[in-house]
Formats: sequence, C-alpha cells, structure tokens
Amino acid sequence: MLLAGMAAAAVNGDFAGAQAALFSGGGEAVSFCMSMAGAYAFFGGLMQILRESGAAEALSRALERPMRRLFPFQPGEEAALPEICMNLSADMLGMGGAATPAGLAAMKALRKTDDGRPGDAMELFLVMNMCSVQLLPSTAIALRAAAGSDRAADIVLPTLIVTAVSMLTGITLCRFFAGRSKSRG
Amino acid sequence: MADSSVILPSLVVLVVLTGMRARIDVYSAFVRGAKEGLITLLHMAPYLCAILSASSLLRETGVLDALCGFLAPVLSLLGLPREIAPIALLRPLSGSAALSLVASVLEACGPDSRAGRLACVVCGANETILFTGALYMGAAGVKSARYALPVSLAAYAVGLAAAGFLV
Repeated sequence: MLLAGMAAAAVNGDFAGAQAALFSGGGEAVSFCMSMAGAYAFFGGLMQILRESGAAEALSRALERPMRRLFPFQPGEEAALPEICMNLSADMLGMGGAATPAGLAAMKALRKTDDGRPGDAMELFLVMNMCSVQLLPSTAIALRAAAGSDRAADIVLPTLIVTAVSMLTGITLCRFFAGRSKSRG
Repeated sequence: MADSSVILPSLVVLVVLTGMRARIDVYSAFVRGAKEGLITLLHMAPYLCAILSASSLLRETGVLDALCGFLAPVLSLLGLPREIAPIALLRPLSGSAALSLVASVLEACGPDSRAGRLACVVCGANETILFTGALYMGAAGVKSARYALPVSLAAYAVGLAAAGFLV
C-alpha cells in the first residue's frame, strides 16, 4: 500500500501532499486509540464476565449434536468434535484467544487426503472458521459508542443476519463440493 | 427493531446476571477483561498507525479513489455506497486495517449514517478470511485448501449483498 501510494505521488509529482498524508494518518491512529480505549475496555470487561461464567462451555455443549450431524467425519475423526465445538463457540463470543488453540488442535485431529490435501471435514471446518459467526460484534459496538452514536447497538441484528447468511452459504457450498468430489471417486 | 436503544443496557444486565448465576466475582472478572481489552488495543496501535498512514497516503494521492471507482459499479449493484469499498476490500485481509477504515468512515459520515452502519456490519459480521485460512492450514500442514478459499470468499460476497440489502 505504501509503495503504491509513493508511486502515485511520484507520478503526480506531489511529495509534499504525500508527506502530510503520512503524518496525518499516524496522528489519526493515535487519537483513534485514545477515543476507543474506554469503550474497548468496557466491552473487554463484559466479555470476560461471560467467559468466566462458562458461556463458551455451555455453548460448546449445545453445539455438539448439530455439529456431529453436520460434519462428514471419516472414521477416527470424531475425536476432533469437542475441539471443533469449543473453537466455534469461542469464535461466536469473540474470544479469539480461546478459539485459536482449540481450532488448531481440531485441524491436527482432522484427516488429510492421501496426497496431503484437506479432507472434506477439514474443508468444512476451514470454511466455518473463515466465515466465523459473530454473536456479539462487541468491537463494532465499541467503535460506534466511541464515535458518539446514540444507538450503538443498532447493528447487532443486521450483523447477526449477515453473518448467518454467509455462514449458511459457506456450509451449503461445502456440502455441494464435498458431494461432488465423492461421486467422482 | 422497535427501540434498539434498549439492546445495549439489557445486554449489560444480562451479562452481569449470568456472571452472578455462575457465582463468579463479576467485578474482578470485568477488571481483568478491561485490562485485556486495553492491552489488545495497545497491541493494535502500531498496526493501526501503519495502516492509517498508508491508507491516508493512498487517499491523498488518488490511488484509493481510482481503485474504488473501479469497484463502485459492482458494489452499487449490491446496494453498497462507495465508502464501503475499501473496507470490503481489506476485511478479508486484515482485521485491524478494516477496523481503522471503519473508524474513519464513522468519523466522516457519522456513526448513524447508512455508510457508518454498513461499515460496522461488514466489519463485525466477517472474519479475516485469508489470515485465518493461512494460520489454520499452516497448523495442519496442508498446502492446498482445495475449495475452502473460493467457498469462503463466495460466502463473504453473499454476506456483503445481504448487508447491502438489510441496512
């Protein structure tokens, strides 16, 4: 990005403007952090309460049954189920720190195909992580609150719908491709 | 949404009640989490500085305009205003970069404008697809993701369209 900007500045012969832009960006970043700090800390605190009340564990247990049906497990891959559920539920609660280790453990437990490419279950898990469902977009709410919105939580419902729509699309497409590669042999 | 201003306060009450039911020390949990939030923010600051510098450079020199002008027809087909274009582009690549762009949209258009709300939805509802993919595939030691990446990007595009339709 920097290089592209510099190249454009060179083409326009406008290095003074480029310089001003660079520094105003840095200043913007710092003032952004300052304005965010309060709201960020507040939502961090709220999420921690949820975390310590065991919300992720509860959600993870609730997910286990549907996930067992959803994933095209090969024999031996069921061992990854608890990790998968833990990862997805932590992800939903915006607990990236807890989601990633569980997710990486699940990836290791899922099987690869003989030529070292991910199996269908792993593919689905990858897609579900890349489309990640967010139950509570706390960062976005914090941002809005910091920017002086009087309806900071206005985006909760649309975000929920959008995230669900893209997750469903991902799952559907996965099933489609998984079925296709199976029928091809 | 009849009155969405009740969502946030009731959320807070709900969370606190959950904590009390689980018999944890709500106050110290909150403090720990708040500290963590601040630390996260501190970790993000240098990246934000780099990205905002670079993006303001791109904006000033007109590169961003050119890029967005190129994308605008596609986005307007999805019902998205052009302010969203850089966010939609960067979201799959970098969460903090997209977040800093959201912040500048909120500042420029106001948090309750359509562009501002869309920016938040797009940012909140999606994941850094490419980063997550690389991390997980690296952990499992697989090189090709077969169909996972195109499927995720397609799902992302559908999500964008849904956002444009809803907000």
